[in-house]
Amino acid sequence: MDDLRVPIGTFFAIVGVILIAMSGAHSPLTEAPVNLYAGLSMLVFGAVMLWLAYRGSRTGVPGSK
Amino acid sequence: MRISLGAVDYVILSLYFVFVLGIGWLLRRRVQSSADFLTSHRSVPVWIASLAFIAANLGAQEVMGMCASGAKYGMMTSHFYWVGAIPAMIFVGVFMMPFYYGSKARSVPEYLKLRFDEKTRALNALTFAVMTLFSSGISMYALGTLFQLLLGWTFTQSVVLSAAIVLVYTLLGGLTSAIYNEVLQFFLIVLGFAPLSILAVEKAGGWSGMSARLPAVMTHSWRYLGSPSENPMGVEAFGMIAGLGFVLSFGYWCTDFLVVQRAMAANSMSAARRTPLIAAFPKMFMPFIVIVPGIAAVALLQAGVGYSLPLKGGHPDYDLALTTLMIQFYPSGMLGVGLTALMASFMSGMAGNVTAFNTVFTYDLYQSYVRPGATDAHYLRVAKITTLVGVVISIATAYLAQQYNNIMDVLQLVFSFVNAPLFATFLLGMFWKRSTGHAAFTGLLAGTTAAALTHGLTVAEGKGGWISVVHTFPSTMAQNFWMAIFAWSTCFVLTIAVSLATVPKAESELRGLVYGFTDIPPEENEPWYRKPGVLAVIVGVAVIILNAIFW
Repeated sequence: MDDLRVPIGTFFAIVGVILIAMSGAHSPLTEAPVNLYAGLSMLVFGAVMLWLAYRGSRTGVPGSK
Repeated sequence: MRISLGAVDYVILSLYFVFVLGIGWLLRRRVQSSADFLTSHRSVPVWIASLAFIAANLGAQEVMGMCASGAKYGMMTSHFYWVGAIPAMIFVGVFMMPFYYGSKARSVPEYLKLRFDEKTRALNALTFAVMTLFSSGISMYALGTLFQLLLGWTFTQSVVLSAAIVLVYTLLGGLTSAIYNEVLQFFLIVLGFAPLSILAVEKAGGWSGMSARLPAVMTHSWRYLGSPSENPMGVEAFGMIAGLGFVLSFGYWCTDFLVVQRAMAANSMSAARRTPLIAAFPKMFMPFIVIVPGIAAVALLQAGVGYSLPLKGGHPDYDLALTTLMIQFYPSGMLGVGLTALMASFMSGMAGNVTAFNTVFTYDLYQSYVRPGATDAHYLRVAKITTLVGVVISIATAYLAQQYNNIMDVLQLVFSFVNAPLFATFLLGMFWKRSTGHAAFTGLLAGTTAAALTHGLTVAEGKGGWISVVHTFPSTMAQNFWMAIFAWSTCFVLTIAVSLATVPKAESELRGLVYGFTDIPPEENEPWYRKPGVLAVIVGVAVIILNAIFW
């Protein structure tokens, strides 16, 4: 494995998509669309990690080596 | 109190298992030698070492315990971070890491051997090895009990599943795999619990709404520390600063191999020094994720908005504050993320203990006393077997804790006796060239005895006083802080006295081990964000500001 940011980014991107898909679910104590907000945050976080890994692989900026 | 998980929650939990095992699988080719397996061959980038540095400490008992403490003691719990962690992390990064890293020691006990002598190393290695296994077992016990309560899994299912996954990814990729997974676990813990804090505080009316509902002592960290009777912790400012902020905190963050090992795995001296300093940034904000939800839980109970906590002995069971908040604020989906974060925090703590144990056992006990001079392939094989044996003993300890809870309490107490004086030994060893091996060994034993005597002669909340009662503390926390102060002082004074009466090592033997005899790479040409001194100042100022805000 060259860069830890790849599995981390992939993991959170997948979880983010799952949560966004579950955005209709609600909890007893809040009306806020918790899954949607959390899912979007994780998707953005995952995308940033993947982008940093991609940039690192092109420019030689070390990620995990 | 039972959670009914949906299919999506199990999908997220399974996905996490696949990724942690996958990281171990992808790293397996890196393990060619015992150094690869046990020390990562000093190859870990600084950002990974930094996040692993705090993740190894971020076990589920810490996460759930801090939330419960937030509910019991309020914002004063933040002292465990802003007083009881950050100053020590600054100190170890700026002042101590040059000796750990520069000495080329592979473990903290090995540093003691190089600096002092074999018997001091043996004492530290033996107690550390036993302590880490019991800590790991107690963590597994907590996991088994919690998942039995929440999910209805059997104790055996929870313990064996989590232990098996940690074992597989550690065996595959060694310390590197444990460290890399700790980074994933760290992000999962933060992203899994941070929304809970936001939701709970918002529901409780924001910080101003919580302050209006709660007694003022719950929302201030320093204002009520003038006297033990003014605050629910039962401690005063001196005990807090000297006991927690100095002895216990420096003793843990500066000498415990579990955390120091992460910095020692960094890929350069500069990276090793910056590891605790960079880790201090997320660490100082952790109270907002783990303590504030506990305070919000109490405010929510009083607000009557439908939030409830199970009772224990007629009082709310604050140990369940975090999980009840999750159940009541998270819908299916985020609930899976939250539970996975909880599982991740158990596993990161467990992996931290197991990887520290296998290094100390292989290098400091097996290589030193059982079979010195064997091939590296032999030590690699022993390290892998030790990992397996360590996990099995941890599981056995978890079952022991289930059967005999009191034995675990006694063991933890004994370990606290051993830990309390340790920082005095390291402080004198690193900064006073005159200190000797005989003095270090004598000081450690005397400090441990002083801790035991303090506990035996004082009582707090019915605990201690097994010799006689000469003083009563208002809380066990105050008793622990003062026990640490007496142990440290005894070790410090006695080590100095015995050193002056014994022959020190020649200066030529102290190269890389003691202040004044260690080369620290120049950093004038480095950018500011790579200079440990600059980072230390920024961290120090930030933590002072946080203390002032919540004064």
